[in-house]
Amino acid sequence: MATELAKVTINGKLFEVPKGARLIDVCREKGFDIPSFCYYADLALQASCRMCLVRIEKMPKLQTSCTITVTDGMVVTTQSEEIEKAQRGMNEFLLANHPLDCPVCDRGGECELQEMTFDWGGLEERFTEEKNYYAERYLSPMVANDPQRCILCKRCTRVCDEWMGEEAIEAGGRGAHTVIGTYLGWLDCSQCGNCIEVCPTGTLLDGTYRHQTRPWELAQTISTCNFCSDGCQMSLGSRSGEVRRVVARDRYVNGINGEFLCVKGRFGHPFVNHEDRIRTPMIRYKKGGKLIPATWDEAIRHVATRLDEIADKHGRDSIGVVGSPRLTNESLYVLRRFATELVGTQNYTTTDLHSLQSFFENLGAPLATHRDIRYAKTIVLLGGDPSELQPLTGKQIRQAVRNGGAQLVLVNSVPIRLREQAALFLHVNPGTDEAVILALADSANDALATEKAGVEAELLAAARQMITTTEGDVVVMFDASLSAEAQEVLAQLATVFGAENRRVLLHPLPLFNNSVGAHDMGMTDRHLSPYQLLDMAGDTIRAMYVAGSFLPEHLEGRAEALGRLDFLVVQELFENDTTAAADVVLPAASYAEQDGTFTNNDGLVQRVRQSIPPLHQAKPDWMIVAQLAKELGMDFGYEASASAVFRGIAERVQAYTGMRYPVLKDETNPIQARHNVVQTDVSEAAATVRTAVEALPDEGEKIFGTPDVGQELFRIGTLTDKVPQFHLLANGNPRPETTAISPLYQIAGVSR
Amino acid sequence: MSSQPTQITRIGPLSQPVSLGVEPATFSPDVEAEIDRHLAKYPVARSAILPMMFIVQRERGYLDPPGVLYLANRLKVRVTDIWEVATFYSMIYTKPVGKYHIQVCKTLSCKIMGAGKVTEHCSKKLGIKVGETTPDGRFTLSEVECLGSCGTAPMFQINFDYHENLTPEKIDQVLDALP
Amino acid sequence: MRIEVIGCEPLQLRRVHLENSRSIDVYRANGGYEALKKVLDGMSPDDVINEVKKSALRGRGGAGFPTGMKWGFVPKDSPKPKYVVCNADESEPGTFKDRYLMERDPHMLIEGMLISAYALNAKTNYIYTRGEYRYLIDIMDVALDEARAAGLLGNNILGSNFSCEIYTHTGAGAYICGEETALLSSLEGLRGHPRMKPPFPAVSGLYACPTVVNNVETLTAVPDIIKMGGEAYQKLGTEKSGGTKLWSVSGHVNQPGVYELPMGYDDMEKFIMEDCGGILGGKQLKAVIPGGSSVYIMRADQVVGKDVRMDYEGLVAAGSSVGSGGFIVMDETVDVFESTKNLTEFYKHESCGWCTPCREGTDWLVKVFKRIDQGGGRPEDAQLMLDLCDNIEGKSFCPLGDAASWPIQSAIKRFPEDFLRRLTRNGD
Ligand SMILES: Cc1cc2nc3c(=O)[nH]c(=O)nc-3n(C[C@H](O)[C@H](O)[C@H](O)COP(=O)(O)O)c2cc1C
Ligand code: SF4
Ligand code: FES
Repeated sequence: MATELAKVTINGKLFEVPKGARLIDVCREKGFDIPSFCYYADLALQASCRMCLVRIEKMPKLQTSCTITVTDGMVVTTQSEEIEKAQRGMNEFLLANHPLDCPVCDRGGECELQEMTFDWGGLEERFTEEKNYYAERYLSPMVANDPQRCILCKRCTRVCDEWMGEEAIEAGGRGAHTVIGTYLGWLDCSQCGNCIEVCPTGTLLDGTYRHQTRPWELAQTISTCNFCSDGCQMSLGSRSGEVRRVVARDRYVNGINGEFLCVKGRFGHPFVNHEDRIRTPMIRYKKGGKLIPATWDEAIRHVATRLDEIADKHGRDSIGVVGSPRLTNESLYVLRRFATELVGTQNYTTTDLHSLQSFFENLGAPLATHRDIRYAKTIVLLGGDPSELQPLTGKQIRQAVRNGGAQLVLVNSVPIRLREQAALFLHVNPGTDEAVILALADSANDALATEKAGVEAELLAAARQMITTTEGDVVVMFDASLSAEAQEVLAQLATVFGAENRRVLLHPLPLFNNSVGAHDMGMTDRHLSPYQLLDMAGDTIRAMYVAGSFLPEHLEGRAEALGRLDFLVVQELFENDTTAAADVVLPAASYAEQDGTFTNNDGLVQRVRQSIPPLHQAKPDWMIVAQLAKELGMDFGYEASASAVFRGIAERVQAYTGMRYPVLKDETNPIQARHNVVQTDVSEAAATVRTAVEALPDEGEKIFGTPDVGQELFRIGTLTDKVPQFHLLANGNPRPETTAISPLYQIAGVSR
Repeated sequence: MSSQPTQITRIGPLSQPVSLGVEPATFSPDVEAEIDRHLAKYPVARSAILPMMFIVQRERGYLDPPGVLYLANRLKVRVTDIWEVATFYSMIYTKPVGKYHIQVCKTLSCKIMGAGKVTEHCSKKLGIKVGETTPDGRFTLSEVECLGSCGTAPMFQINFDYHENLTPEKIDQVLDALP
Repeated sequence: MRIEVIGCEPLQLRRVHLENSRSIDVYRANGGYEALKKVLDGMSPDDVINEVKKSALRGRGGAGFPTGMKWGFVPKDSPKPKYVVCNADESEPGTFKDRYLMERDPHMLIEGMLISAYALNAKTNYIYTRGEYRYLIDIMDVALDEARAAGLLGNNILGSNFSCEIYTHTGAGAYICGEETALLSSLEGLRGHPRMKPPFPAVSGLYACPTVVNNVETLTAVPDIIKMGGEAYQKLGTEKSGGTKLWSVSGHVNQPGVYELPMGYDDMEKFIMEDCGGILGGKQLKAVIPGGSSVYIMRADQVVGKDVRMDYEGLVAAGSSVGSGGFIVMDETVDVFESTKNLTEFYKHESCGWCTPCREGTDWLVKVFKRIDQGGGRPEDAQLMLDLCDNIEGKSFCPLGDAASWPIQSAIKRFPEDFLRRLTRNGD
């Protein structure tokens, strides 16, 4: 798009700006402050707060600069007596029915109305009448609400609709009695809390943080979320060694997610300071015995000796090394060095549910960033349910369609919520997504796809058509559960669809915050799955060193596998099925207690920063491994500094060449890992997939009915299990008899 | 050339809140047919929301939760969408009202022609204040804004019927005549 | 209540007094649907628009925008469907003309809509009637069925290749839904909030398609314009605004009612004192609101002996405006403080709540009025109210904010005594 320039005069100064730019943005960019409440970039225009008034020559009245796009020769005044009176007047109106209870308001100190009043408020309060009253209430376990403080900027209703596609919160009533709320006063939604985030006042509040601290008492630490693979940037608010809340407010942090977070990112943090955290190293001196607390030295020495014995007795490959895709790149990198250079075993992997190894080995196009997704012209989503598993990606897709006019091609066996945005919905039979991938790659497979997946050939053609007629970016996303061969075929789709005026970008949808990093650090390059490793337990594998834990899915049907080991070491935050079988348990530090990096599904390498000191005797996983290595006679030489480890990564991992912590400092301009883009022959893989698909039953049962909101988000995991509110959500978010106090009272024995 | 509206289809929100805890209301085939007639007028179903609300209200007295859920499902919108619309319009009831809703116009022309006396008279006669409903649920008394009877003031509207040029006697006649 | 024509040949009110005036037969027997015939055999859409332009017809809903020009804004080449929407929300206090037009002569509205639909190539059209006028909706539905039965509605009207449908739609109690963009929001099944202009409805209105919104009286004027020709119609009125105008008269007059006068009727005083039978009980005239509640209130001495011409220019010159033509006449017994309080309560109740100044301003003003009314008046209150009005006027999202402040501003300026009396503590 060639941007024409327009000449605008603002307060007597002449500027050249892109024609059609929004006046309020232009003025602010040029350094003229313009107050506003309802204007919010990339949301539908509202123009209701009337704060952003300016005078434009040849226009009758004052104009709202949020609704004006600049035209050539426009002459604008942003400061004058007339304008100031109007703006002070608006501010006065907004305060009229506002309770002015800042001293007891959680938002006090980071409230836009408060700040606006410092700038535009009058000295005396002319409003001496009685204020309209509404009682405080809870809208859900997560969201507290004080309607009286509302200025009706409707950012909340707009993000709920435009970002989340949920329309769970709306404005009811009319005139001065308009209130933001929900039917019957109960909020049934994914509980993302973005309405809280964008609220400029103390109307919508974090229900898990009520009356805990004043915002200015919190130390703000910019870090990366440790739940899903989207890698949202967030600010951890901590006080006296405790993480009190997590926000994405743009006054603290400006990452790829803007002010967006999901229910886990925003409310999942209490596990960090949970009382069940493992406090000290522990040793089980004999099988079946108890775990006895020990000092770090004892524990490390014990582990070293046992591993030595086993290596001598059964050979190096008898020791399995396992890392969790939740760990930092630093920890996974050190663990990989430990496995390959020190132990010298071939048997190492991660406790991920799926591997992206084959995808990356055949990567035929660069990874799409979330920004690319927002501005893509066509998006192909194969399987998965981003709204539940990678919520930021879900939001980007929704906005790309709603605000950017992108076309969404949805291939799924379930009518997921994003179907509302889909231009084409290929409703396939369960487990037949790969048939469609074949068809997308080559129309010769249409017959097979129609037969197995149960979608009309026209739809397949239409999908290809939609892609091949796109000018601009095409983003192909896929659920990481695809078979290795299907991943190969898909990774090379770019060669099928790429063109002069069309860029194909790929976007994998793995499950964990550092699934991609785990691949980059080489932890998956043996194409070994945790299942395979467990099956070798007690047989070729005699000992395992696990940083993190196996997932319930892994241990299902393999419950005794770990018991068959001679020796099991586990680094963990909490005791669980894996630690139950461990001979040595070592207390690991959570993401909030250490420095490091995560690599998200964009390939963006983003900083994790220490917000609080490690709890009890916990240590970062990499540090523990490095110490053990030292004990075993190999000094990685990292002098207890994550940045030193990362320097090592930058030297040894090709995609990370040249990176340093200082380079990764600015979360607003994240750095993308340079993954190798290759052209490979995938005909063999395609053939394998074909045989697999042919083996599928002919008419599968279609799944109708959209899964309830939260069916994945609210599922209790090791971490969310530590957040009482999540248990309410997992139980269907029942509406309590009274919403006047925290719904937590419903859970016996929960105090807060 | 067809004169039928071009259908614009919208996939509605794909899940309704679980915590509502009620089943959607059901209506007789006649009522359903009446609703279908309204839906047929518009290219977008949601346009029929007000006519449909009046029907649900007529059938159930007011928009009770089952009625709201019915509307949401029928129009493929969330209950919140029904709520936001219902609470905007003064003629849509989200709470029960009397069998006869006496709505006295209180705006200027009626006011200067004696609307105050009309309210007073009704209030005395029925023993309720403005905004209240008689214990037997027969009458609700309200004051409303201009109903377009300024030339025949004072007046009130009972449900949908206009009664104009009111005098105490006429008020008595009207109210006493109600079945 | 009277329905009268004064100073001109009956036009809009031609049939209202006939027996069964609302039946299609009576309508046809009295020149009904001839204009439509004339249009269908031989007039192009542009011909129709040109006639309307020549007629100098100005919108009767309150804004007074030239109708022909508005129709001209509709993009002919747009592939989208076009809509004509009749604004029958008539909620402006003091206004009740549309009500009687629909009650007594529904087919005139149908014919008017058919002709404008033809001119704008609109296939589907709606009559948005305020919910309280339920009985008028029933009347319109009957009339529409009659028309349908007579082949005047539906496919290939009168054998032409022009097909068109008209549907009734009900509001549900919201004055703001009279504002054309709020009306369209409401017609789409949303809350009745106004929308940003531009884009104007003519370009992007109902369902984001080109839409013309016209008042009932505007549309009912169209058949006569076609029959007599634009020029002839214009000559009935003034050069800038042609034809006749309906005035709704209420309050302290002996003969309240709906009066049809030629645009530019020369004497407002005569109209009140003679045509409307003078002030009730021989009392003194104190104040007049000539254009529905949303215009400046006038003192008697701005009317008496001033030969106020009753058209847009004349009333502006006299210190008010035509608005919706709702005459509210007040005698000496009226306390303008109270009448203004009453109207402010109306605007507070009807503010849609979208924008800050109108929502909070009207709420605040009502509270001030109440306090003063209960004896809590303070000397500075008059200034406060004027200042609040100034902070609303011209800054609200839609004109309702202005409409709410004008009555107060004019009342305080023109009837200071009624205010000051209450603003001095214990009479000092
Ligand atoms: C607050 C407000 C209320 C209005 N109410 C009505 C109304 O009840 N009836 C009407 O015809 N126009 C009303 N209007 C004017 C409409 O916005 C619009 O100008 C008119 O319907 C256009 O039709 P016309 O050009 O034929 O007058 C209102 C305007 C405003 C700002
Ligand atoms: S002025 Fe503002 S609040 Fe008032 S009706 Fe118009 S948009 Fe709504
Ligand atoms: S920011 Fe422009 S009106 Fe609110």
